[in-house]
Amino acid sequence: MEDPKRTAPVTDIKYFAVHDGDGIRTTVFLKGCPLRCVWCHNPEGLNASPQMSCYANKCINCGNCRTVCESGAQRMPDGIHQYDRSLCNACGRCESICPVGAMKRNGVFRTVDEILPLLLRDQNFYISSGGGVTVSGGECLLYPEFTASLLRKIKENSINTAVDTCGFVSQDALRQVLPYTDTFLYDIKAMDEEVHIRCTGQSNRLILENIRFLDAQNARIEVRIPYVPGYNADQMEKIAVFLTSLRNLTGVRILPYHNYAGSKYASLGMENTLPKQLPAAEEIAAVQELFWRNGIPVRH
Amino acid sequence: MSLIPSEDRIYLENKFHKTKEPFDPYNRRAYNGYEYDPATGLTTAQILSGLASLAPALESLPHPVAKARAIAYVAENTRIDVNEHDYFPGIYTWNREIGSITVEPWKEEVFRNKIPETDRLMKSFNRSAAITIWPDFDHVIPDWESLMTLGFPGIRERARTYRAYHEKKGTLTQEQQAYFDGIEISYTAILTLIHRLYEYACTKDGAKQKQTAACLHALEIGPPQSFFEALQLMYLYFMVSESIDYYQVRSLGNGLDRTLYPFYKKDLETGTYTREQIREFLAYFMMQWSAIGNYWGQPFYLGGTDENGQNRINDLSCDILEVYRELDIYNPKIQIKVSTDMPKEFLHACLRQVREGSGNLVFCCEPGMIHAIMKYGATWEEARDFDIRGCYETGVRANEVSQATGYLNGVKAVLYVFSNGMDERLGIQIGLKTGALEELETFEDFYGAFLKQLGFFIDSTIAMANSYEKYMEYINPSSIYSGTILHSLKCARDGYQNGVRFNNSAILFNGFGTTIDALMAVRELVYIKKEISLSGLYEALQNDWNGYEQLRHKALNCPHKYGNHDPVTDAYAAAVAGFYTTKIDNTPNTRGGVYKAQLHSAMTFLWQGEKTGASPDGRKMGEEVSKNGSPTVGMDKNGVTALLNCAAQIPLSDFMESACVDIMLHPSAVQGEDGLKAMEGLLMTYLAQGGMSLQINIFDTQKLRDAQEHPEKYRNLQVRVCGWNVLWNNLSRKEQDAYILRAQNQEV
Repeated sequence: MEDPKRTAPVTDIKYFAVHDGDGIRTTVFLKGCPLRCVWCHNPEGLNASPQMSCYANKCINCGNCRTVCESGAQRMPDGIHQYDRSLCNACGRCESICPVGAMKRNGVFRTVDEILPLLLRDQNFYISSGGGVTVSGGECLLYPEFTASLLRKIKENSINTAVDTCGFVSQDALRQVLPYTDTFLYDIKAMDEEVHIRCTGQSNRLILENIRFLDAQNARIEVRIPYVPGYNADQMEKIAVFLTSLRNLTGVRILPYHNYAGSKYASLGMENTLPKQLPAAEEIAAVQELFWRNGIPVRH
Repeated sequence: MSLIPSEDRIYLENKFHKTKEPFDPYNRRAYNGYEYDPATGLTTAQILSGLASLAPALESLPHPVAKARAIAYVAENTRIDVNEHDYFPGIYTWNREIGSITVEPWKEEVFRNKIPETDRLMKSFNRSAAITIWPDFDHVIPDWESLMTLGFPGIRERARTYRAYHEKKGTLTQEQQAYFDGIEISYTAILTLIHRLYEYACTKDGAKQKQTAACLHALEIGPPQSFFEALQLMYLYFMVSESIDYYQVRSLGNGLDRTLYPFYKKDLETGTYTREQIREFLAYFMMQWSAIGNYWGQPFYLGGTDENGQNRINDLSCDILEVYRELDIYNPKIQIKVSTDMPKEFLHACLRQVREGSGNLVFCCEPGMIHAIMKYGATWEEARDFDIRGCYETGVRANEVSQATGYLNGVKAVLYVFSNGMDERLGIQIGLKTGALEELETFEDFYGAFLKQLGFFIDSTIAMANSYEKYMEYINPSSIYSGTILHSLKCARDGYQNGVRFNNSAILFNGFGTTIDALMAVRELVYIKKEISLSGLYEALQNDWNGYEQLRHKALNCPHKYGNHDPVTDAYAAAVAGFYTTKIDNTPNTRGGVYKAQLHSAMTFLWQGEKTGASPDGRKMGEEVSKNGSPTVGMDKNGVTALLNCAAQIPLSDFMESACVDIMLHPSAVQGEDGLKAMEGLLMTYLAQGGMSLQINIFDTQKLRDAQEHPEKYRNLQVRVCGWNVLWNNLSRKEQDAYILRAQNQEV
């Protein structure tokens, strides 16, 4: 029995997402992730609890936030704004009153029925482009009941669905969403276990087991491979060989590492773990070529 | 192999003005690229003085005859060239010199003596920038089909036949005699000019010159028979109409691919020309307009649907697009008439060009435009065959003139509610007295007062246009244009005055998005959140927000902004659009036609913005207002689908003349095949949701900032201003900054 009151923390809803599956899509990001990838470009999705981002560069020191803050996190010593994260309970009142958008709450608990209308908004675009809705994260399968219920309701509206997962989840979670998922966007980061641990903090055994499970269930799978020089660049050949063993793979998408997320780490008060080295365009082309050579279609 | 050898390309680029010398594209015809052979005719100064001597003899003549005589004088005496590097001749005196003794004094006479009150009103509205208005002779498309079928001699002959018909009926009035005389003299002048060009070409030995000579001879004696002759006719008509006469030609062909296709097909079938030769002709043809450098761009359109309901995209459409791409030019500008069954390959080729930032393409959705045209009485057949004029205005092919009248400044209508109709910059009453601020107790009161101001702008525009449009023929008889229009000949009335089936006039809404944002900010700050009183807000505006920074931030961050698919804002946007279109559409004008609403800004988003004080949405004094049906710069924060969904809440086809939405996308959002399909998805959804025109801009701010700092690296970088593109380096710093802000918004 589905619980209509069940919620999950939603970090963001992104419209006109064109690289999260087929066509024009809307992507829902749920908060919380079991991996800690050093290159993570959505750090606001790592921790499952709500968090505030503070964009100090936008602040005009108006002090409005202090007037609504009940936890004492927002202060104005000498008329200059200070935000004390340790006192903050991420209630989000400051976000509502800030006139310049300097405070942003990441992670608002929502029910399926609350977010569903927002996902149906672009239905006409899905129809024209063969698009749909993608549920992503963080790791959306940390909330399998919620995600399954959301996907089912989206399918009831004849909309294409995709689940973007890191695969480090229970098989039961996969089973729950399987009937309502048209495509799995499945991340593979490394084949060597020690490399995977160094990159993400976790073993890849469960991840590889799960993708074989999905394949056995005839799930449609698109594999997404972040390419990060100095971390997993030497894994591409091994990944390609592994992928040739899958029967239901539609293709791969190489995600060239970028470091645009630096300001997000700062706004969250988190340590910036982003690698410095960026991939060259030629490297990406060579990796794409490698997959093509192995008979694996590359989406771009 | 390149389509145009480099020495020819250099010649062409410098044909109409020297590329290395300063050039004002608004005044493009005031230049010559080089000196012509003096033996071929008079200097421009001599022609001006010759025209002055001719003036007394013209004084007693009816205007169509007098103007045609002046045209003939220029055609007979201008210096000419037929160059070894070109297939298209040169006409040296091409700055509408006839105006000095015809159109200009006649215009002055009308406004000064016949309608002085209208003149006074127009001047004051123009100064205030509440309404920008002038008599428009710039939006004409001849019946190219007539021209192609009959040629110049045939057009003249057909006019003679109709003259004889009216004579025989015994109904030929003196005015009608003058009308036919005007056509006779004008077309004889065109043929004289062609003969002079032919004779001059015969004295030359170059291969292109010889081909040109044969081509000119063919056009002197009959209709075009080949692809090259058809292009030549188009070029010559354009040059005479725009540059000797006073009428801009706002499309090449009634669909360039459609008008030229019979010649293309025949030439390939008979082996007259190979496909490569045709591509070469097209390249030289398009280069003419690239070199002329009209600021607004020279348009033509491709595509559309034929009488069997099939799209018209053919091999020639593809060749035109490919040649255009290969030339890497942005003038001419091309409108793509998008039908639901447009071949994907062609559509993707267009979208790819847009994504590369090359070319100058706008997408015009056929279903929405057909609906718009049928709303003023066109039949399905007429509507399906519509022309696209200028930027993306529409009209019935060969049977509609639609003159742009007033550009209405919606933001001023909001500000005049605050000032009770006073224009504070000028210190005079321009708008209506809608009451003191204390009387506007509720938002309903304020909104009602705004609608009264807007309604007053509409009424004033109609009154002014009704007054001066009676004199369009008197000021500028359109003999050359009229000669191409069968309906005009049948009724023996000037084509631009009232001689087509649809003699319409358009009224343009400028700053629509900013107007809605301003209304929403008043509603939110004054009446809902009660952050400030109406008079307090008025004071903030009068101070250009200085001292009210926090309030301004609240205004800028008001949750109700046009372009975000917010239900309340969308409802007001639809309501204001509905008020505007209901009041304008199908209101009779004085030329036997009707007024048509238009959601289009041209340059007024900048011009009017400069003369408009700070507005309640947080905009500072002098800043640009929103353009077309697009949001205020930086205010569409929910992405492109929200913007298009928002636009879909407005019945865009009620803007019977045209409506356009501009979208800005970051390159990363549209990269690869997926990106291309996404662009297609956006366009086709917009089309399915009743869209009209869509302009797609793809840039990242990093590139634009670099271009600001290193203009030398980006000589060919171009951006879309409104219905046309300009080189990045030709924009002012202020315009560049606004553009960067727009691009930046897509990167959030």
